[in-house]
Amino acid sequence: MPAKSTGPRDIIVLGGGHNALVAAFYLAKKGFKPLILERRSIIGGAAVTEEFHPGFKCSTVAHAGGPPLAQIVKDMQLARHGLEKLEAPVRIFAPNPDGRALTLYSDPQRSAEDIKKFSAKDSTSYLDFHNSLARIAGIAAQLMELTPPVIEKPSKEDIWKFLKVGRKVRGLGKKEMMRLVRWGPMAAADFVAEFFETDLLRAAVAARGIYGAALGPWSAGSTLLLLLRAAADPYPVGNSAYPRGGMGALTAAMAAAAKEAGVEIRTNAEVTQILVKDGKVTGVLLAGGEQIAAKAVVSGADPQRTLLGLLDPVHLPPSFVVKMRNYRATGTAAKLNVALDALPNFTALKNSSATDAAAQLAGRIHLGPGIDYLERAFDHSKYGEFSTAPYLDISIPTIQDTTLAPAGKHVMSIYMQFAPYHLKSGTWTQNRDALRDTVIQTVAQYAPDFAQKILAVQTLTPVDLESIYGLTGGHPFHGELALDQIFTMRPLLGWARYATPVKHLYLCGNGTHPGNGVTGASGHNAAREIAKHLR
Amino acid sequence: MSKKYDVIVIGGGHNGLVNAAYLAKAGKKVLVLEKRYVLGGAAVTEEIIPGFKFSVYSYVVSLLRPEIIRDLDLPRHGLEILPLDGTITPMSNGDYLWRQNDHGKTRRELERHSKLDAEAYEEFGKSMVAMCRFVKPILAMIPPDPTSLDPRDLKKLAFLGKRFQNLEAEDKYNLVQLMTMSAADFLDQWFETDALKATMSASGIIGTFLGIRSPGTAYVLLHHYMGEIDGAFRSWGFSRGGTGAISNAIGAAAVEAGVEIRKEVSVAKILIKNGVANGVVLEGSGEEIHADIISSSVDPNLTFLKFIEERQLPGDFLEDVRRYKYRGSSGKVNLALDGLPDFTCLPGPGNHLRGAISISPSMEYMERAYDQAKYGEFSRRPYIDMVIPSLTDPSVAPPGKHILSCFVQYAPYKLASGTWDEQREAFGNTVIDTISQYAPNLKSLIIGKQFITPLDIERTTGLTEGNIFQGELSLEQLFFLRPAAGWARYRTPIKKLYMCGSATHPGGGIMGAPGRLAALEILKDSGRS
Repeated sequence: MPAKSTGPRDIIVLGGGHNALVAAFYLAKKGFKPLILERRSIIGGAAVTEEFHPGFKCSTVAHAGGPPLAQIVKDMQLARHGLEKLEAPVRIFAPNPDGRALTLYSDPQRSAEDIKKFSAKDSTSYLDFHNSLARIAGIAAQLMELTPPVIEKPSKEDIWKFLKVGRKVRGLGKKEMMRLVRWGPMAAADFVAEFFETDLLRAAVAARGIYGAALGPWSAGSTLLLLLRAAADPYPVGNSAYPRGGMGALTAAMAAAAKEAGVEIRTNAEVTQILVKDGKVTGVLLAGGEQIAAKAVVSGADPQRTLLGLLDPVHLPPSFVVKMRNYRATGTAAKLNVALDALPNFTALKNSSATDAAAQLAGRIHLGPGIDYLERAFDHSKYGEFSTAPYLDISIPTIQDTTLAPAGKHVMSIYMQFAPYHLKSGTWTQNRDALRDTVIQTVAQYAPDFAQKILAVQTLTPVDLESIYGLTGGHPFHGELALDQIFTMRPLLGWARYATPVKHLYLCGNGTHPGNGVTGASGHNAAREIAKHLR
Repeated sequence: MSKKYDVIVIGGGHNGLVNAAYLAKAGKKVLVLEKRYVLGGAAVTEEIIPGFKFSVYSYVVSLLRPEIIRDLDLPRHGLEILPLDGTITPMSNGDYLWRQNDHGKTRRELERHSKLDAEAYEEFGKSMVAMCRFVKPILAMIPPDPTSLDPRDLKKLAFLGKRFQNLEAEDKYNLVQLMTMSAADFLDQWFETDALKATMSASGIIGTFLGIRSPGTAYVLLHHYMGEIDGAFRSWGFSRGGTGAISNAIGAAAVEAGVEIRKEVSVAKILIKNGVANGVVLEGSGEEIHADIISSSVDPNLTFLKFIEERQLPGDFLEDVRRYKYRGSSGKVNLALDGLPDFTCLPGPGNHLRGAISISPSMEYMERAYDQAKYGEFSRRPYIDMVIPSLTDPSVAPPGKHILSCFVQYAPYKLASGTWDEQREAFGNTVIDTISQYAPNLKSLIIGKQFITPLDIERTTGLTEGNIFQGELSLEQLFFLRPAAGWARYRTPIKKLYMCGSATHPGGGIMGAPGRLAALEILKDSGRS
């Protein structure tokens, strides 16, 4: 069959992940006719629900939202398109090896009450911490929605917008302002120690600063990551709101909204090259040889895949190529999806009724009982080994959502750190089972009957995350969220405004500001800038 | 009650002395109080073993501000800096990596290891010089308060903004990286030779409780590079007569300017009346000495938590002072030797022994050394930076004998088990064993030794937790945050009480800048009143 050539389309969007869907939706609302090309047979990118064992489905990669920006939920009318949020009162259940456990709720008073078991002082500090974080996060949230200014040569508009946020920052008062400046570069371990004395509580909170990053709690700058997450969700620990039907239901609702707005979506359409002529995008080449001409290409894929993988480097300045190669995006996360015959029994809940135990487990389960534990887990990854005692972030969505497994059965989604993309010895194929066994043994330390309840396990190593989901280096956030790779430096200094050195080629994924998980903020910001450019 | 002074400077370390000298030159009547028998604080020369003059703590100099050398006419007062030629790193494969002051030699040496690195090294050097040019004026600047609307603060911020905008695009990119990245990540972008990266990254961790992979360490790298701009290559050097000679020269300049120095007197309390500091009480004798202004060169822990009662200080400030991190992470081993150590990688005597010898064979070695410290143990295979000052300056050892001065990291102040008094010997022996792997004849040469743990540094010099910089050089403790937000301009919540030590901007090292900047601020204030 001869390769066909179609087009021209006005905008092609690469990838059908959440940011791509959000960007396409907003561009369609501005009167463009975007075409989304998704390599896989399903849309959603890393926010998908897949059947990994007959009858058992779960959010195979990301298992909780960032959450999506309220503005996006409203504009896209996601509820009308089928999104139903299931939110457990429990945010995090953190068992300790000694059989005790700490539970943090969305309600800070309830959390403070539970913390009393460990420390009356921490119980009081928790409320202060919660409030202080909420105030600061409120300001940071506005920075998330800002297109990063060109710091070399800020425009009047940049300065104006910045001053507007600046005025809000001033509203914080001198003490909180200085706190914000001082906290950013700190190690999360130091940050939490300023508030709490209980190691388990410190670890549960600090974990948010290392989630998805090649950082340990003692790494400087991990507080920044924690604050970045709090900006999207102003609580001390991450949220436990799951869409009914898994993360795939969120992106399905986004896709429905996008289609309604006029976006066309093609699946099984793998783009192998972005075509450029005279420094300007002309279209894309698909795996089958098909060419589609386009006036602009917006990539939801990560920056390295887009700019180093899909583009002939001759179209980029050499120094840009060098910097893009140095962009750090080697992941340290793995994922286990487990089909369970029944809920495992956690030692810490042995005195609770079945209903109470299930309620405790309905949010996220944090396994990583101390700061040193988390740091040691990280240490391994520095030398190309996976953690022998890993940090695990677990969800059991079936406690609230019966659509994902047969009646009475459960699925457990286990996010694991640290599993470095580059192993010192052996390949990930050789190490996949060892990784699985380590994770199972770790969970079994807190729930001894865990192994007996297992029906099937899907293990996704960092290499699987790359090959199946297209995440370069297996990095769940399209690149490290480090001090030197955020805001005006995401992905690179001078290229933080969604444009690239190739005219009419744009980025809209997590590798752009703010890039903090399933919030859709990057796609939302990108669409605004792109529409301005193309007008 | 004794006679009254304009200013009492607490502590006769290099910053205290610089501060006193500048104040006296401006006409103030100044008294310096030093608790030890010798001036210099951590910059002292002491004859620990008969005939061997050890630079006990600080052992090389590179950062001493040229304006101070000039203003105080230090060469006339005996300061003489002798060159320290290059750095050699023995490698684990038996080879070595030797960078020398001679540009061509270094280039050929690097080419032997990697052609790419030899190329990149030149670019790197140029780029670092550009960065230093940007950062250097900041070292001589009173930190602005970014939360203030005072036009003077805004002007300073605008000045920094403008300087940044004037940088070349590539330098901007590098500067932002330097301010935020880890030394390891930063160097990975430039070089491929492991031993080269490991040795260079060491500059990023000296005196901090951070590993080479910790973000923020790239900045410290720059801090240590700052010396380079005035000289050719890293203008590190020895001071003739040991590091104490620097302190003595500053002391002599201070005395000439009219400063009175009292040794072997410890301050017990700072006297405060109605929120205004007006004197000190001495330990033991209880003698009260009064002055209009008190300038403390010791760290915030001593100044605010020991010399002042809690109730005299605002709660927020106390909280900040308690939170300020020291975390000493290094120790020192000083050895008196019967001859020269013989390194397997380059046997025999030679110029390589006249420079620094760095035990930093690989990045992994450096990071693993840090890992142990994180959990409260000293490194079993530590990073060691050694010099043999007696080769360049024969005055410090008897003829034919030598001194090996070893800076050792990591030695965490807080041990997970046991005390430093119990572990001192083990620590020192670990250092000797580690060096012996590269210089097997070392043990047979030792005729005297001094093992210094962070606890010893604290006990003798007063540096809290043995931190050689009076507090960690981490991003959240620099510039307008050093030592506490809102109190980075040498002033304190107590009127007429000032800070002038390394715990203030721009921080540690034998630089003298805090002492000088504090003096200028004190003069500004007293001129106003």
